[in-house]
Amino acid sequence: MADSPEEIQKSIRKYLWIGGILIFFTVVTVGLSYVELPTHGLNILVGMIVATFKAALVALIFMHLNHERILIYKVLAFTTVFCLALFLLFIFSASDPLVFEGF
Amino acid sequence: MDIPYTVSARPDTGLYNAKVGIWLFLASEVMLFGGLFSSYIFLRVGADYHWPVHELNVFLGFVNTLVLIASSVTVVMAWASLKLRQIGKFKLYMAITVLCAAIFMVNKAFEYKAKFEHYAVKLTDGTFLTGHLPQGYEIKFGDVSEVSVLIAGENKAVDGEPLKHFVPRVEGDLPAFKMTDGSSITLDQSGFTTLKEATLKAAREKLEEDRKKRREEGEALIEAGNIAAGKAKLDEAERMNIVPDTTIKLKPEQPVTVKVKPSQIFSYTANSLTFKDGTTLTGKLLDDSMVLEVDGVDTRSVPDAEKSLAWKSGLLGEPWKKAFIANRDHHLNAFEEKHGDRRDPKKSATLQKEAFFLKIKSATPDARDDAHGSSKSAAASAPADSHADTGHHGHHPVVHVDRKDIAFYSNYTPKLNTYYAIYFTLTGLHGLHVVAGAIVLFYFLVFDGRRLRENPEHLANRVEVGGLFWHFVDLVWIFLFPLLYLL
Repeated sequence: MADSPEEIQKSIRKYLWIGGILIFFTVVTVGLSYVELPTHGLNILVGMIVATFKAALVALIFMHLNHERILIYKVLAFTTVFCLALFLLFIFSASDPLVFEGF
Repeated sequence: MDIPYTVSARPDTGLYNAKVGIWLFLASEVMLFGGLFSSYIFLRVGADYHWPVHELNVFLGFVNTLVLIASSVTVVMAWASLKLRQIGKFKLYMAITVLCAAIFMVNKAFEYKAKFEHYAVKLTDGTFLTGHLPQGYEIKFGDVSEVSVLIAGENKAVDGEPLKHFVPRVEGDLPAFKMTDGSSITLDQSGFTTLKEATLKAAREKLEEDRKKRREEGEALIEAGNIAAGKAKLDEAERMNIVPDTTIKLKPEQPVTVKVKPSQIFSYTANSLTFKDGTTLTGKLLDDSMVLEVDGVDTRSVPDAEKSLAWKSGLLGEPWKKAFIANRDHHLNAFEEKHGDRRDPKKSATLQKEAFFLKIKSATPDARDDAHGSSKSAAASAPADSHADTGHHGHHPVVHVDRKDIAFYSNYTPKLNTYYAIYFTLTGLHGLHVVAGAIVLFYFLVFDGRRLRENPEHLANRVEVGGLFWHFVDLVWIFLFPLLYLL
């Protein structure tokens, strides 16, 4: 475990760095949202990729998921699968020709 | 009994118990928010209106993102400081974290308040006028010549409560009322109670009288030998045991005018108005137009924006139409110059918004910095006291929208559209998480002093678990901010 005093001392600097990177990418997200890409769907895609990257940093570093016990990964594996299924449910509505014309 | 493994790891899991607990909880939290994000996708895919992009206050959202990121850093620093037994730093970082939560919620409150006060009025042709209702929206009904009050008998469906519904809406002093028998009453508590009791007594007496009469008729029939018809009459008399409703008609001795919100009444026509308790006024509809301080005209759902109802003379009128056309053509041309034939202007949501959703920031089109329109006839459109300095409200044209032109109106709340529904659901639930997390962290900071002295390692674990929840709240916001504010 990385919980020894020396390790923690080292990680303090890391936390500050990560905070800085998160703020930087927040500015990037806001800036990119005003850039008009060929379709708005691309804007959403880019925005979500940046957001996922930020979320990954929070989860891995702040929430210590980069060095956690196997039990927690097992629990999260289920959540991830079910959550992805929830996000992809809308595919069933994509064949509704009356409403959806793509983002 | 002490809970085991609060400090040291349980041998089989390799974790202290609270950590397993919080991760199980967070896993279910992910599913909760996952379900709501899934709803967001469905609502967006199925939206039959222009999904708002950059419509919320981006600056406020950006500041709140920074605040949450900062608090995420401080909460993990607080944990690290406690692990290193740097108690002063631990307390400082915890305090900053809780302060960040407070700042976040204050910003959120400002944002919500602005939404409650801002209105969108959909006209019958699909145009949206957005703005503020300085006086709220009230219907003015006057020249009241008669007030009908329903006094329910025993068959209680609706019972007239004019003191609750009608009297508080009367403008100015309440006059005395004349009853049909010529006597005069005042509509106050004692006056109405007396009237109601007298009415019910009369209704009861009348019922008894009718019953008696019917019974006598029946007996007379039986005596005359018509037994079947007589018995029917007697049965009928037996069944007459419910005191009927009575409607009292009151005539005001001086003219009466009422002002009501649409939500306070049941219905109205040009010459009658019915409250929710059944009290009905006969008179004249004086004014049911809506006074709106317009700060935007959204013509994106109108087939021909130049024919939008917004430009008719009672509303914004010709000068604003000219300003709208100038603004629209400016943006369409700029788009054309930039992209040529490569892009379809109809498919650019940004262009559609810039060109067809005119934001109004001045009382007259002339005052616009980039006004290309006429300079002479502009004043006609602005009955607003634009020179009166009343904050930002003085910088918008004030129009009277006819009731018949309004298809729907709402403030920026879930009622307006599915975007605001999911916006309030997601941010509301997220806000509750911020409050809950802050309470827990505040507790560790202020009320866990004994644990800090006697078992700092246990408190460090508690802070880690509270921190994990806090990071999760930040993580949700990382997705909420772009999805609701930016994209």
